[in-house]
Amino acid sequence: MKILVTAKRVPDPEQKVKVQGDAIDLSGMNFVVNPFDEYAVEAALRLKESSGAVDEIVVLTIGSKDVTQQLRSCLAMGADRGILVEGDDDSLDSEQTARIIKAVYERESPDLLLMGKQAVDGDNNQVAQLVAGKLDLPQACFAGQLELEGDASAITVGREIDGGMEFKKVPLPSVVTVDLRIVMPTAVKTAGSKDNQEYAEGPRYASLKGIMQAKKKKIDEISVGDLGVELEQWVKTTSVETPPSRSAGIKVESVDELVDKLQNEAKVL
Amino acid sequence: MFKWSDSHKQLRMMLRKFVDAEVVPQIDAIEHEGAPPYDVLRKFWKTFGIGDMLVGEYKARRKKAEARAAAGGSGSGGGEAADAGSKKKPDPSAALDQGAMRALPIIELSRHSAGMVTALGVSMGLTPNAIIARGTPAQQDAYVPALLTLDKIGAWAITEPGSGSDAFGAMRATAKPDGDDHFILNGNKTFITNGPYADVIIFICKLDRGEPPERRKIVSFILDGEMEGLERSKPLRKMGLHGSPTGEIFASDLRVPISRLVGERVDDEDAGSARDDAKKTFTAERSGVLAMALGMIERAQELSLEYARTRVQFGKPIGERQLIQLKLAKMEVARQNVENMLFKTIESTAHGEPPDIAAASAGKLYAAQAAMEVCLEAVQVFGGNGYMAEYRVEQLARDAKVLQIYGGTDEIQVSQIARSLLWR
Repeated sequence: MKILVTAKRVPDPEQKVKVQGDAIDLSGMNFVVNPFDEYAVEAALRLKESSGAVDEIVVLTIGSKDVTQQLRSCLAMGADRGILVEGDDDSLDSEQTARIIKAVYERESPDLLLMGKQAVDGDNNQVAQLVAGKLDLPQACFAGQLELEGDASAITVGREIDGGMEFKKVPLPSVVTVDLRIVMPTAVKTAGSKDNQEYAEGPRYASLKGIMQAKKKKIDEISVGDLGVELEQWVKTTSVETPPSRSAGIKVESVDELVDKLQNEAKVL
Repeated sequence: MFKWSDSHKQLRMMLRKFVDAEVVPQIDAIEHEGAPPYDVLRKFWKTFGIGDMLVGEYKARRKKAEARAAAGGSGSGGGEAADAGSKKKPDPSAALDQGAMRALPIIELSRHSAGMVTALGVSMGLTPNAIIARGTPAQQDAYVPALLTLDKIGAWAITEPGSGSDAFGAMRATAKPDGDDHFILNGNKTFITNGPYADVIIFICKLDRGEPPERRKIVSFILDGEMEGLERSKPLRKMGLHGSPTGEIFASDLRVPISRLVGERVDDEDAGSARDDAKKTFTAERSGVLAMALGMIERAQELSLEYARTRVQFGKPIGERQLIQLKLAKMEVARQNVENMLFKTIESTAHGEPPDIAAASAGKLYAAQAAMEVCLEAVQVFGGNGYMAEYRVEQLARDAKVLQIYGGTDEIQVSQIARSLLWR
């Protein structure tokens, strides 16, 4: 069984975003792997480790050569191989990204396309759904739990809903996106999981050895042209602006004053 | 010239993420409330697979040394000395990675707790190295892997109330033979890192067979933390380095079998060898100080820069004042120098030419003084806030002082550098 995981680099969410003119200023920004994609890598590793059914985890990213760094960090966690499709990751819209992923999927023919539910930069949450549509594959989004069948023919996806979880079994191959809870200690199970198997919460840290081994792992570099993908821009950014800054809060002396302010100043009552 | 590669930078980011998430939330408990640092250190070691990696490297070295010994070579242990005798040149790129992997965890942890680094270094460095250098295979099997993985916490007891820089000359702790295969140990040790909590203690003393003290051989014993005849103090209160529990150890008529004597024999031909081992240990300690100093300088500088940018007095950020700028610029000079020294040490070690004792001493002397100056200046940049624990720079300043004292005082480094210049 082969798992293809997608990983996008995003500006480190802990940094302050700078807006310069009509665009976000990315100069001097530190980049990290999109957290949800990191969770997808972690989920793939857990599937591999406990099932024994996964032969290869391939991580796909799109971007300039610089993105190799984020790709290597996924390999350092334990993924087996990387694919870098060279392109401008900053200007791609969801449709273009989906087309590229579709083309790579067709080259690799994995049994499972595992993705983060969204990238935390654009928060679009569209690519997985578009890819599944284009490939005519079953899709299950926002997985908080995963359980792989013993013969790897299907995967049961648990999704958080109001008041509980719902479980859906999808045949493989299919497209699955993961949510935050997929990195809880017992969120990923396979037929090979031990009853009391628990992982440390969160995506794993790469070990020293893992980081050094990652240097030797293979990264295939492909151009968009090689994939035969047409890239027309569907989404245009017309302007970028920071949200208006909020005025400072005030302290009120009494309930009466609060009601008065809510009625006459905030006009919410 | 060596510099951090992309994978080293990646490792560094990963280490920092761990330290921020797991160590920093516990810093107040460890630095101000006396909580022992070992659980979080174990987690650190395990998360990055460092213990297993060190055990792997140790086993490979030992196997090589044993093969050489079997082939008629002179390999007596699995230690660095045996390694240096190897004909095969080390692969520089792998050795550079190894140097970086040793230094980076120290640097990242030193940013927040030089004390924890000290506790760590003594437990998985000095203590197992003493056993690796001279211990029998059985002693090595029993203690070395468990110490390298931090499953057991180690202490290395040399200093006494009356013996500091003059570690051997003034040493009063003794081991008297008792029958053919036992020894009676007596002596007081102080300033022993991990002393209050250690599972394994290397007790260094003089073999007393009736000869005058200055002619007695230096021997070392492997003790357990809890033994009849062994008493330990609670952690001593110190100026800084609170992340490292330090205590006293008292041996009174402690009777031990020869199996606890490191090497299990007293070889007269081999006179003074435990003394040489201890000296080698001092050299190793010195290169660790470079990495510690770098981490502390980087952190002090980072905090100072941020403060200088944001602290406004008389209507301007204080960073616009030349007196503050001078401090920040001097911090950068110190940072570059210490980083270059560390890079040079990693590079020359990787090429099979580790710094000699004079070079190691020069590096330690400079780095300790630089760290002290930078961290004190950071307190000054912060003014009144810097004097408050909340702003973290006061801890760096208190901790930096120890770098000028332990592992050989500044004065000892000076004399070693000078003597090597005068009478090389």
